[in-house]
Amino acid sequence: MSTDTHREAIQRQIHQDWANREYVEVIVNSIKKITAFLNSFDMSCRSRLAVLNEKLTLLERKIDHLEACINKEDSIVRP
Amino acid sequence: MSNERVTLADALSNVEILDERPLPDEQPLIEASTCSITFHANFDTNFEDRNGFVTGIAKYIEEATTHANLNILLDEGQKHAVMLYTWRCCSRAIPQPKSNEQPNRVEIYEKTVEVLAPEVNKLLNFMYFQKKAIEVFSVEIKRLCHAEKRKDFVSEAYLLTLGKFINMFAVLDELKNMKSSVKNDYSTYRRAAQFLKVMSDSHTLQESQNLSMFLATQNKIRDTVKDTLEKIPGFEDLICEVVNICVHMFEQKMYLTPEEKHMLVKVCGFGLFLMDSEMCNINKLDTKKKLRLDRIDRIFKNLEVVPLFGDMQINPFNYVRKSKHFDASKWPLSTSQAISPQADIMVHLPNIREEHVKYISELAKYSNEVTTTYTYKENHSDSENRAVTDLALRGLQLLSEWTSVVTELYSWKLLHPTDHHQNKECPSEAEEYERATRYNYSSDEKYALIEVIAMIKGLQVLMSRMETVLCDSIRRHIYSDLQDFVQIALREPLRKAIKNKKDLIRSIIMSVRETSADWARGCEPPDDPANKGKKDPDNGFQIKVPRLNVGPSSTQLYMVRTMLESLIADKSGGKRTLRKDIDGPCLSQIDQFHKSSFYWTYLMNFGETLQKCCDLSQLWYREFYLEMTMGRRVKKCTVRHQHNEECNDLITMEKRIQFPIEMSMPWILTDHILRTKEPSMMEYVLYPLDLYNDSALYALTIFRKQFLYDEVEAEVNLCFDQFIFKLSEQIFAHYKQLAGSIFLDKRFRVECEVLGFNFQSYPKNNRYSTLLKQRHVQLLGRSIDLNKLISQRINADMQKSLELAICRFEASDITGVVELEALLQVNRLCHKLLIKEGLALDDYECMLNEANHNVLAPYGRITLHVFDELNYDFLSNYCFNAATNRFVRSKLQISGQPVQREKPPQMFHYFLWGSKQLNAAYSTQYGQFTGFVGIPHFRAICRLLGYQGIAVIMDIILKDIVKPLVQGNLLQFTKTLMNAMPKVCKLPRCDYGSPGVLEYYQAHLIDIVQYPDAKTEFFQLFREIGNSILFCLLIEQCLSQEEVCDLLHAAPFQNILPRPHCKEGEKPEAKQKRLEQKFASLQIVPNIEKLGTAKQALIAREGDLLTRERLCCGLSIFEVILQKFKTYLDDNVWIGPPPANGVMHIDECSEFHRLWSALQFVYCIPVASTEYTIEELFGEGLHWAGCAIIVIMNQQRRFEALDFCYHILRVQRVDGKDGTVKGINLKRMVDRIRRFQVLNSQIFAILNKYIKNSEGESNVEHVRCFPPPISQHAQGRNQKIYD
Repeated sequence: MSTDTHREAIQRQIHQDWANREYVEVIVNSIKKITAFLNSFDMSCRSRLAVLNEKLTLLERKIDHLEACINKEDSIVRP
Repeated sequence: MSNERVTLADALSNVEILDERPLPDEQPLIEASTCSITFHANFDTNFEDRNGFVTGIAKYIEEATTHANLNILLDEGQKHAVMLYTWRCCSRAIPQPKSNEQPNRVEIYEKTVEVLAPEVNKLLNFMYFQKKAIEVFSVEIKRLCHAEKRKDFVSEAYLLTLGKFINMFAVLDELKNMKSSVKNDYSTYRRAAQFLKVMSDSHTLQESQNLSMFLATQNKIRDTVKDTLEKIPGFEDLICEVVNICVHMFEQKMYLTPEEKHMLVKVCGFGLFLMDSEMCNINKLDTKKKLRLDRIDRIFKNLEVVPLFGDMQINPFNYVRKSKHFDASKWPLSTSQAISPQADIMVHLPNIREEHVKYISELAKYSNEVTTTYTYKENHSDSENRAVTDLALRGLQLLSEWTSVVTELYSWKLLHPTDHHQNKECPSEAEEYERATRYNYSSDEKYALIEVIAMIKGLQVLMSRMETVLCDSIRRHIYSDLQDFVQIALREPLRKAIKNKKDLIRSIIMSVRETSADWARGCEPPDDPANKGKKDPDNGFQIKVPRLNVGPSSTQLYMVRTMLESLIADKSGGKRTLRKDIDGPCLSQIDQFHKSSFYWTYLMNFGETLQKCCDLSQLWYREFYLEMTMGRRVKKCTVRHQHNEECNDLITMEKRIQFPIEMSMPWILTDHILRTKEPSMMEYVLYPLDLYNDSALYALTIFRKQFLYDEVEAEVNLCFDQFIFKLSEQIFAHYKQLAGSIFLDKRFRVECEVLGFNFQSYPKNNRYSTLLKQRHVQLLGRSIDLNKLISQRINADMQKSLELAICRFEASDITGVVELEALLQVNRLCHKLLIKEGLALDDYECMLNEANHNVLAPYGRITLHVFDELNYDFLSNYCFNAATNRFVRSKLQISGQPVQREKPPQMFHYFLWGSKQLNAAYSTQYGQFTGFVGIPHFRAICRLLGYQGIAVIMDIILKDIVKPLVQGNLLQFTKTLMNAMPKVCKLPRCDYGSPGVLEYYQAHLIDIVQYPDAKTEFFQLFREIGNSILFCLLIEQCLSQEEVCDLLHAAPFQNILPRPHCKEGEKPEAKQKRLEQKFASLQIVPNIEKLGTAKQALIAREGDLLTRERLCCGLSIFEVILQKFKTYLDDNVWIGPPPANGVMHIDECSEFHRLWSALQFVYCIPVASTEYTIEELFGEGLHWAGCAIIVIMNQQRRFEALDFCYHILRVQRVDGKDGTVKGINLKRMVDRIRRFQVLNSQIFAILNKYIKNSEGESNVEHVRCFPPPISQHAQGRNQKIYD
């Protein structure tokens, strides 16, 4: 009889082990998902920031050009 | 942190929500997986938890213990292998004392010891390690080969581990043999240490002696292993089993990563070598059916060369060849000359393509189902999970297979370098590594490699993106498969075993169940009849198997599999195998389970396995070749001088530290795409670059060597610059060529082709747009905005090409303006095309202004050059001809030097029109415009210069050219010549006859005719003025045409509609109204006023006004110019003194028109046929200048009435005489006069049109009334003088 209880105890331990490991798996899986999310968030941000950066750079260059044009006008007025 | 507690459910649902957040990423996916963060969870415990499974069979728990130890040794061996492979020679960098007298000798030695001691320590550890490993290995073999145990069952996993050991020995031995730098470094250390007497005690000395012997002896490890094994009786049986299991696994594809596959082959080779000895002959083992040499032969032929470590390759058959009892007849395939299939990637390619397409579509189907049909929170059915697991496994297997194809080809090529006989492109002095890589692949092979690499990397991305989804199903499937098997399937054999009292089987099955079963209620159902060997009740015995999302632990799986294996093994400790006591169906069920669960370890570590299956890092590593090259001396001293002893020293200093990128596989492949510009490959161009990511990752995580990473990084820096440079250059060239082709006249093109001038048609469409959309390419952890980099470069190229266009114009005369305009238009088109592809280029106008230097300076280069050309060349050297309305260069340069112009800079074709052929076509086309200056040129000038430029040019022409001329030289000349004129020159009577009249004038005007500079300098001055006037006139005409075009283009938007055609009975007003209504939506101003803000409306109105108000609507430039011209003629010499008779001069030569008459007489005199005529020399500009002054001075009528030549003409008309008077042919002279008369009257007519306009609206003739004459003359009468 004692072997049966012993066996049962072990079986319960194994059962518990499965449950524990599933818990760990679930957590790990969630971390994986968070990682995946962060990665795609990163990519998405990069692409959007790149577009923004491009627009700003273009504007800056345009401003530079216009400023130079204005200075030209000045230099004509003030010889 | 707050104390807020989050429940697990909440946390999990938070994670789930992340999926719902849209994260758009615009760029097309053409690169390998891009991860900023990677997360790996490793649950491999290396049997640390073995004691937890107390219910397992003790023997296997024990085995697990040894297994764990062996694994630790294997790991250590791997570290030593890395150490050896990545060993770089240190001693070469250490200075050697030249002689014993050198004073700093001791210091050098001390430093040498200090520097090398840690390295030598590693070697010592290595020596001890191999000793220990061989010992452990032989102990294991001895234990297993013990007479008692020989018949025992040895598990598959265990045999495999032994195989891994054999592999490790082979690798370490080869590495040790290969690395001569290790030996050199050690001897350097030893010399220094002996000198310093560091190794004083006998133990250290002995150790040092051993180490140097160990390092110096080739094949030391291999031979030691062989010797040790040969002392163990019956070892060959065990090795046989190891080899057999390897053959079995290789044939059944029981491996996943390419590395494992190659290991199996190496173990076969090395195992055979170990077995074959004095006592044992492998050929006999074959005949005894203990080995199957024919099967091994096939394997060796299929995989002739396998990677050993890094870029070291091995031919496993060579082990056999070297063995004692080698019998070639047993190895028909391997000894044949046929080329191994691994050498030909083209054979595999169609199959790979097909598999790829098939698999990708399956995966896509599943992926779509996951994202659309069901959220994967819900549990899938078992069969779905099984299907997904199968899908994942197949994916991994495909990836591994493709990776193997790539690495095996690469390995084969490394071991079979080409030479200049086989490959004509390979120079005879090419170095070893170059012959193995750079010249060793045909173009098709490179494409195939790129394609396969792209497939591998592409699929890797797809699979890693789905990792969480796949893993979920995998774990669920493994769990259910395992539990169903253990809890249900094993009931039947258990029942049988209990019933038949097979205790061993019963206990094994019980153990399996106890080890792994996860009972629904926590423990086994106590009333299960199977446990008592009884039959199930009629309605069956229900066991509810739970479902969890987790797989077994690594030890658990090992235990279960090993115990089951022992049930079905052919070999066991007892006389009969256990499998004979198990029913057929049960047996096959167990067998099936055992087979399928083989892959579970891989599947449960999906991420890691995926990474390993796609690892192509070794394509970059070349430590072996570097080592080989290090030893080679460069033969020549390259410096030009008298070679001496020192040169030899210099030469040895020169050695390869690293190979150039042209020999590096990743760059060879990348460059191949860039060089061939193959459109179908263009989108793959980032994949070969990803190989650097693989190599760098390997350097950091496996090799753990900073210098290797640094070298990869340095190469990437170099390659990437090249990549961007080449790519942007060809993109720019492509679009320039496209623009050039679009712009090229279609009929011209067709005719060219008809004539057989074959210039490339439109450039082949290429897929640059996908590349240009890349805004975050991941390379060595950096994120690169490809679009931005290319934009920057192309911006610069565009600027350069605009500058070149202007430079070309500056290097040409005024005729170049037509080409310039066209060139700028092509550039504008190219700019437009590039913008369309998503490049952020600056505004075209801004760029043009910058190239034109028109941003800071008020006038651009084009304007200035146009003016320069006008001033220095055009005005003084061109002749106008009204018949053609063109200017042509005069045949003789009258004044000044020929203009010197700078040569245009030499640049690539794509900076001009796009390609060599296009350049030729266009230069032929625009060559047509170089011979003259006419309407096309003036139009181009109008369009290029605009109002501002034209205003400036005209202003300068008037102020700086015309005015100084008129008030300077011309005035002086005029005054001088006026003095040379006869005071009075009458109109001789008709009665003298035309020759008489001619003679009269000739005599009177002899001073003028013979005046030396009249026909040259004086006429030249008039020509310059005349050309200036003509230039202004023609420019205005062209400008007006441009304006009219503009107005017509704008008309529909300004509610200006052409009057409609009306049939009879239609009311034009009504029809007009209808049209207006129809086009109401086009009208800008009313629409903006209606829809826009007040400010926008204001802008629209102003724009409208600017469009409407044009010069051509009632204003005239030329009129103003003539008026200005008039103000310059303020000297009295032009009008002379007031007439004495108060009315007008008749015979007196005091007004300008008289001088002009004299000049006209001069130029009407016909010249000999050998001389240039005045028209050829000066063109009509001369007449324009004269006529303009006459008209402005109001002397036209008097000129026409009193002109000498006209008088000759009139008289000759009457008498029709001919003859030669003082060398002048009268008839020819008269003909000339007639021509010039017509010309003069044309000029007068045009000028008058403008002059009259300016003199007010009243076209009334001014009539002066004179009182009747006081004289007696009867015939006196009133006279009318017309102004």
